[in-house]
Amino acid sequence: MSVHPLIDFFILQGVPLDTIVLLLMLPIVATLVAFFRQIIGIKAFGIYTPSIVTFAFLAFDPKGIKYGIAIFLSIIITGMLSRILLKHFRLLYLPRVAITLTIVALTTLTMLVIGGSFNRTGLASVSIFPLLIMITLVEKFIATQIEKGDKTATILALETLGISLIGYAIVRYHVLIELIIAHPWVVLITLPINVWLGKWTGLRVMEYLRFRKIFDQN
Amino acid sequence: MFEAFKKSRGILGMNARNLDYIRPYNRKKGKRISDDKILCKRVLKKNGLPTSRLIAKISTIEQLEHFDWSTLPSSFALKPNRGFGGEGIVVVYGKKKNRENTWVKANGSPVTLSDIQAHIRNILDGSFSLSNTPDIAFFEERLTLLKLFKPYAYKGIPDIRVIVFNSIPVMAMLRLPTKESGGKANLQQGAIGLGIDLASGTTTTAVLGKGKIVEYAPGTRLALSGIKIPYWKDILTMAVKAQQVSGLGFLGADIAIDRELGPAFLELNARPGLSIQLANLDGLKNRLERVKGLRVKSVLRGVRMGMDLFGGEIQEELEEISGKKVIGTVAKARLIGIDGKSIEVNAKIDTGADSTAIDLGIARELGFDKTVDEYLRASKEWSELSELSKKDRWKMFEHIPHVISTVPVKSSHGVTYRIIVRIQIELDGITIPAKVTLINRSHLEYPVIVGKRNLRKFLIDVNK
Repeated sequence: MSVHPLIDFFILQGVPLDTIVLLLMLPIVATLVAFFRQIIGIKAFGIYTPSIVTFAFLAFDPKGIKYGIAIFLSIIITGMLSRILLKHFRLLYLPRVAITLTIVALTTLTMLVIGGSFNRTGLASVSIFPLLIMITLVEKFIATQIEKGDKTATILALETLGISLIGYAIVRYHVLIELIIAHPWVVLITLPINVWLGKWTGLRVMEYLRFRKIFDQN
Repeated sequence: MFEAFKKSRGILGMNARNLDYIRPYNRKKGKRISDDKILCKRVLKKNGLPTSRLIAKISTIEQLEHFDWSTLPSSFALKPNRGFGGEGIVVVYGKKKNRENTWVKANGSPVTLSDIQAHIRNILDGSFSLSNTPDIAFFEERLTLLKLFKPYAYKGIPDIRVIVFNSIPVMAMLRLPTKESGGKANLQQGAIGLGIDLASGTTTTAVLGKGKIVEYAPGTRLALSGIKIPYWKDILTMAVKAQQVSGLGFLGADIAIDRELGPAFLELNARPGLSIQLANLDGLKNRLERVKGLRVKSVLRGVRMGMDLFGGEIQEELEEISGKKVIGTVAKARLIGIDGKSIEVNAKIDTGADSTAIDLGIARELGFDKTVDEYLRASKEWSELSELSKKDRWKMFEHIPHVISTVPVKSSHGVTYRIIVRIQIELDGITIPAKVTLINRSHLEYPVIVGKRNLRKFLIDVNK
């Protein structure tokens, strides 16, 4: 494996290789999210959430991606159930989110314990930070529920999951990792790509499908 | 595939909307007005444009605690000042009998004072505002439903969205609240959007929710097409004026029709949605590009241009089915006389008259100079002529050049004895040979009336 002298220099200064690769991957993941929004028309929860979930998934590695997905889904489902539960109390926003976070945290803890008792150590041994990242996702979910309703929030959550999984696959792709280690400057290519995406005024793929009826009938 | 791609270029997508229209045309000042409903109301009111009346506003928790609830009328709408997409709006229709401080919602369910207070607290907290910033709650007068819309609207009030660009209305839709949308006129929540023919204000095609094409009001056999919206020209005029006073170059104006007030603004929108294209089954980008850079001298001129450019679909359809042309009660007509001499005039289309009559002056211009002179010389009062037999009367006029026959014509002024000549009339692109009577019409508004006999190929639209 060839390593670019710049990367060598970074490592020499004491920056771990993993950290270097992840930081250099971030622009690629962010560009991917932007691409999905502008060209495909898949919205997800902004750019922060899908990027951070991508890296959270990565922390479940090497064999834990399925646990990552399970926790993601359990968080969304718990978030949805607690909304139904809390509806009658008519609470203000932040206390409501706090209660939901409590429920989600306890549910996640229960899952880890149950996983452990079934000798699924992959689940229990996950480091705390990816878990916390995923749990705080619930705020985004609740905010969307309030603003746009359950259906939209669920769709956006699933879109987030989808984009994060694709991001995860890309970031894990060894050819890409090797490319970045060998030629770290390729990361800069995302800049012109994003300039292009930012000026793109064409129809998104989803819009194309949505408005198909208009040009079909003409 | 490539063909479909080419056609899709007339459709406005989110990217183009944001980059090509909202960013360059909706500057900060305009967005400030559209995102602040109370300010918007003030600006509209100052410029003489109607909106529903502001009853009271609550900006802080203290104000909420000290609010005098007895000042509220029995029906009102409670809204977040910076709300969007119709979220966070509560409309009450009346006070509940026998219970203090309880109101009734559109669906009949009661709303207590503590419900309203909790809702206002949520509004103040920013639960319904863009990016969750603290907000102001306000009460406004509830608009009342127009009788015409009653069978179509579930609970709430239908509203009309007009997109205005470059002082020209380019597309419009009527939004009907449904059971699914909970009485809200919001397509994202499941309301129905009806496309509108801009020329006539008549509804055309309809879309339910985000993209289902429908023909009938849900659960009924009520056709959604062909609803004629009252005050149509006023609505378009208001929308164009609102664009000018708000400074929003690319505006989505929301107007409802109140039973007493007539058309009134609900709000102005700096980021109008794209579903209007599905309701009209037409692309917005095409239309926006057509009016871009046109010089519009006045509000009314802009309205006229919008009506001319983006209307007439219904008429075209009708013409296709019937094989007849649709004309108004006044139409531009080209008359063709001797040796191809022709003249263009405004003709009155009169289904009350049998035959077509043209003014003597017009007849002269069509080459009937001599005919007119001789007719004037030979002509006598009907009282004298009526004594004679038909044959004798014809003898008096038969020497006049181009005359093919004579006829007594009864009108509101009494009976006149007229000569008939042959000309050709071109109306809306169709040329018809016509036998027309000549008479002095110089004192009348229209020099030509076209009668039934020459209107067989036309349908007359009195709205035109």
